[in-house]
Amino acid sequence: MRPFVYEQPSDISDAVAIASRFTTNDDQPTRANAQFIAGGTNLADYMKLGVAEPNRLVDLNRLKDPGLRQIRVSEDGVRFGALVRMGEAADHAEIKRRYPVIADSLRLAASGQIRNMASLSGNILQRTRCEYFRETSWSCNKRVPGSGCAAIEGFNRQHAVLGGSDACIATYHGDFAQALIALDAVVHAEGSRGARKILFSKLHRQPGETPHIETDLVADEIITAIEVPALPWARRSLYLKIRDRESYAFALASAAVALDLDSDNVRDARIALGGVATVPWRARAAEQSLQGKKLDEATATAAADAAFAEAQPRQHNAFKIELGKRTLMRALLETRDMKV
Amino acid sequence: MSQPSLSSALGLSRRNFMAGTVSAAAAPLLASSAKAEAPAPSGPKLRAPVVASLRINQQAYELSLDTRTSLLDALRDHIGLTGTKKGCDHGQCGACTVLVDGKRVLSCLTFAVMNEGKDITTVEGLATSDGKLHPMQQAFIDHDAFQCGYCTPGQILSAIGCVNEGHAESEGDIREYMSGNICRCAAYPNIVAAVLQARDQTKGA
Amino acid sequence: MDATPTPKENQGEPLPRIDARLKVTGQAHYPADLPSPNVAYGALATSSIARGKVTKLDLDKARAVPGLLDIVTYGDMDKVEKPKFGNSGATSIGPLHDRTIFHDGQIIALAVAETFEAGEEAAQLIRAEYDVEAPTASFDSPGTVTIPAAGKSPLFKEDVKAGDFYAAYAAAAVKVDERYSTPAQHHNPIELFSTTAFWQGDELTIHEPSQNVTGWKVELARQLKIDPAKVRIFSPFIGGAFGSKGPMTPRTAIVAIAARRLGRPVRCVVSRMQAFGTQTYRAETRHRIRIGADKDGRITAFAHEGWEVTSRPDPYVVGGTSATGRMYDYASVLTHVSLVQADRNTPGYMRSPPETPYVYALENAMDEMAVTLGMDPVEFRRINEPVTEPIGKKPFSSRSLIQCYDQAAEAFGWAKREAKVGAMREGDWLVGMGCATAIYPTAVAPCAARVRLTIDGDVRLQCGSHEIGTGVRTVAGQMASERLGVGIDRVSVEMGDSNLPPAPVSGGSISTASVCSAVLKACDAIRSKLFAAATAEGGPLAGSHNEEFDLTDGKIVAKGGASAKVEDILKTMQVGAIEEYAEFAPKGATPEALKKLYAGTPEFHGGEQDADSVKYAFGAEFVEVRINRYTLEIRVPRIVGAFAAGRIMNTRTARSQLMGGMIWGIGQALHEATEIDRRYARYVNRDLQDYLVPVNADIKDLQVILIPEVDHAVNPAGVKGLGELGNVGTAAAVASAVYHATGKRIRDLPIRIEQLLA
Repeated sequence: MRPFVYEQPSDISDAVAIASRFTTNDDQPTRANAQFIAGGTNLADYMKLGVAEPNRLVDLNRLKDPGLRQIRVSEDGVRFGALVRMGEAADHAEIKRRYPVIADSLRLAASGQIRNMASLSGNILQRTRCEYFRETSWSCNKRVPGSGCAAIEGFNRQHAVLGGSDACIATYHGDFAQALIALDAVVHAEGSRGARKILFSKLHRQPGETPHIETDLVADEIITAIEVPALPWARRSLYLKIRDRESYAFALASAAVALDLDSDNVRDARIALGGVATVPWRARAAEQSLQGKKLDEATATAAADAAFAEAQPRQHNAFKIELGKRTLMRALLETRDMKV
Repeated sequence: MSQPSLSSALGLSRRNFMAGTVSAAAAPLLASSAKAEAPAPSGPKLRAPVVASLRINQQAYELSLDTRTSLLDALRDHIGLTGTKKGCDHGQCGACTVLVDGKRVLSCLTFAVMNEGKDITTVEGLATSDGKLHPMQQAFIDHDAFQCGYCTPGQILSAIGCVNEGHAESEGDIREYMSGNICRCAAYPNIVAAVLQARDQTKGA
Repeated sequence: MDATPTPKENQGEPLPRIDARLKVTGQAHYPADLPSPNVAYGALATSSIARGKVTKLDLDKARAVPGLLDIVTYGDMDKVEKPKFGNSGATSIGPLHDRTIFHDGQIIALAVAETFEAGEEAAQLIRAEYDVEAPTASFDSPGTVTIPAAGKSPLFKEDVKAGDFYAAYAAAAVKVDERYSTPAQHHNPIELFSTTAFWQGDELTIHEPSQNVTGWKVELARQLKIDPAKVRIFSPFIGGAFGSKGPMTPRTAIVAIAARRLGRPVRCVVSRMQAFGTQTYRAETRHRIRIGADKDGRITAFAHEGWEVTSRPDPYVVGGTSATGRMYDYASVLTHVSLVQADRNTPGYMRSPPETPYVYALENAMDEMAVTLGMDPVEFRRINEPVTEPIGKKPFSSRSLIQCYDQAAEAFGWAKREAKVGAMREGDWLVGMGCATAIYPTAVAPCAARVRLTIDGDVRLQCGSHEIGTGVRTVAGQMASERLGVGIDRVSVEMGDSNLPPAPVSGGSISTASVCSAVLKACDAIRSKLFAAATAEGGPLAGSHNEEFDLTDGKIVAKGGASAKVEDILKTMQVGAIEEYAEFAPKGATPEALKKLYAGTPEFHGGEQDADSVKYAFGAEFVEVRINRYTLEIRVPRIVGAFAAGRIMNTRTARSQLMGGMIWGIGQALHEATEIDRRYARYVNRDLQDYLVPVNADIKDLQVILIPEVDHAVNPAGVKGLGELGNVGTAAAVASAVYHATGKRIRDLPIRIEQLLA
């Protein structure tokens, strides 16, 4: 690990100022000299591996603003402070009741310890776990732009079939983000250029030719809150995660589903997919294919086919297309059958 | 190519880290030369050691640390509390689990300096001073909830955290919420039995 | 599940582990925990290619790191011997002896610094330039060389055979001819590998987790060209081993040299990623099995061909055909084991080294044959239960396989299984049930022990064996406690130190048998002295005969009821303690056996080697799998294993070991595989994030049944050993259950969703 200076500001404006002083607007947040740290579960790991090399860490945990640590549920929706820990949100009674898909996605992620440490804002920004990205001796366009991608022709069982490019097929491994993108969440950020709101669906960038650009954030921007608009029918929602072992593993495929049903007919649907795409993945074509239809195995299968119509398989991950479809189909049927 | 020790330049004198030499009352600065490295007016400097006050097992410690030092390495290498184990150093095994302000966390993924002022409990802090084991420790013995014993301190701390979080209400819950602690000897069924046994006493503890 | 099964015949009390308190309080000191004042921190730099030569090493950036003390690299090991491949040495590759790269992740330098952080920083800054050659990754890669194991590897005796396989197979009414494979796997004990070296004058002490302190002492002294008496390997607790800490790796000598150059202790804790290339592993294997049977299910012909990957320089082999060729009552047997050399690090022992892959293939094929015959798989095995083994026509010293099957089947509820494939379901979950046989050879090796009984009734037991989690420290203490009539709380046991009386490598399930036989011998010598003194003229029991005595509760008790306190006998002997040093050599040991023990190259006896009988432990495992009908993830909610392994010293530790083995088996079946990037011959999933092993949530209902068995032929302690047994057969039982649930026969491990989707 490279050495770093440790700073612990108490105000958001100070945190932004420090970051601003040691970064430029052209710096990617993940490549900047100064980087923010909250739980550290992702960043400390990558610093040890030499993947992240900040020489200044700005610790957000001493920020005084109480809103950063609160979950506020109202008729307008829910606002998660950025420093709320995953475990708190997963166990929150109102979240479990109003947005089971959110609570599920958090509960099924990582481990109890990591959920106690990881902040919600850090969680949504977690970087890929691609083996070729994690280890600096491999070529990786995300880590070293232009160096090539060892995964595309390599061992790519866990890699993405959706949203990839010739430069990168690294999977976005988060779970919570799938719930957020399905529910049209909004992210609040503050930086030297002021405060702004970012649609969650615009936060992450597909790799394209520039896989090192991972998000829409600039280096001195801090996520302060995540807002999920009210969606009363999200009580009928769930997150289904399929993995090699029963717990503490990343998804091979996952689905976040919320359904607005009129008896068995779909008035509206929200669908996002995890474990199969390079970014949090909203499956709008699948949602549309269900509109107004009776939800059964046939329509669920059709929706799943629509979701993966553009999927591109590689040598070892081709099964994820079929598995992803089945995961979505099962999630749709299980959501339909929820007692709410 | 051996060179003169650079430790003084780093502000990291060779530590006498035997826990017994650290007294709570004195709260000694374990690296005495750290004081010489006064922070420059422009703010903290790269590679300058940072002084951190940690409260570990009810005892205050003041440490002069490399900012890179994980809480795990601070416990093991700087204080001599080697009960907390390094199994992967990347948050993948749970062997380094400790309680920070009562919550179970992975000490390998948090920098020690981030824990300034926090209350940390390690396996060495569970038994009472007269040697009476914590109910969870006793339950692990009763149910043979380990073989090699290496993951055990982390399992025990995680189990206590799991109970305190309210996630030990059923066997299924215990299995799921204890899944962040890998036991390669695979004592899992015995661990579940131990947590069940100690659950109610732990809640009161 | 009860962790403390009530002992049945020939089974010892489920005493808690004598080191349990140390382990739950954090006071059990594993080697990297031991205080080492003034220690410097070493970090490895390793190669990023698998084949070629290092042409340039850029150390400047590393040297510029504040706190860096030294870098050990090419040229610095020239004055020491290269490592040797064998039981004590993992590989003959001396990574710093020349610049040739034999495998991915080979050590290219050791950076030593004042702090852990500086050492890691420096090691990461070391850059190598290479002359790269195209590497050979594994089976089917261009450039492999295939050689027969027999005659080429000292670790492999022969390709066993019996009768005329070809004729019998040609004539068989029913045939199975299938191919199976198992992947590369790494042990991944949770304790990281580490070496701490320090010199006091010309004496070297190594703190390192080891399953073989005596062997390492001798091998390290040879490499460093010093007297073995000047080397001490200290390993009081070992955080899981599973074979990985059996052979010493080249790192140990490199760290020792670093400590000598620096004149202060050096500790190197190897990162989990680097362990994949610098330690041993279970290499991938392939198998072809042919079984011919008559219509009634009697096996007339059995052929097992195995292929195993190894490194270029070292002919490592597991060769499990010795056991599979003797498993059932085959009328003819043909076996052949081949080694396939590739640009890989040298493999090594991993839990049940031969049996895990080879019995998996055999038992999967047995299940296929039962299906082909339309016969219940338990019945098929019953029909082929032998009286004598087919190769040498020798009897089994004991064989309780059918009792294992009967009791496990009963506990599992096998009778409720619907035989038809896909017939069992619960909601959206397909249910499958399967079974398989576990077998492991029973071996024993020479071993020494020192036992001291004091006038206060305390016992001190010293033996250079290794507590890797098996409970050997506890059962050795239990043996002394029983034989010397003192409570277990009065017994202290020292192990894991090459300064203690030598014990063999703790592998191959030999430790309990070997250690307990030596402890028994020492204790019996103490008893004899006590009895002699008691019955001597003027002694408290003068006139009685020794054989009528027992030693219990600190007293010698004669059959007639007369008794004398040990304390009083020692007083009459005018000594404060009796100490005995026993050297145990098994039946059939060569005259050099003890010498070889001290030389760190102990003989193993047992298995198929003895003239009078073959010696194996057996078990039967039954599993239930559930597979979601949509998403096809496979779970094992229930598993039952029944095992017979001679005398059980302690039902608690025995059950735990078998349980751990069974869960390992589930991991073998469903999770564990080291993935190889075939283009570069490099491991890809080099951590516990991507190398999956079972977690708590994977294991639900697990039952271990300890079948009583008495076998005096195996060794004086009557112990067969069971550390490896539980791990054998499980994967085949899972494969059988997956077939039963889905109709898909998966022959390549691990069994994953993509295979069921295919």
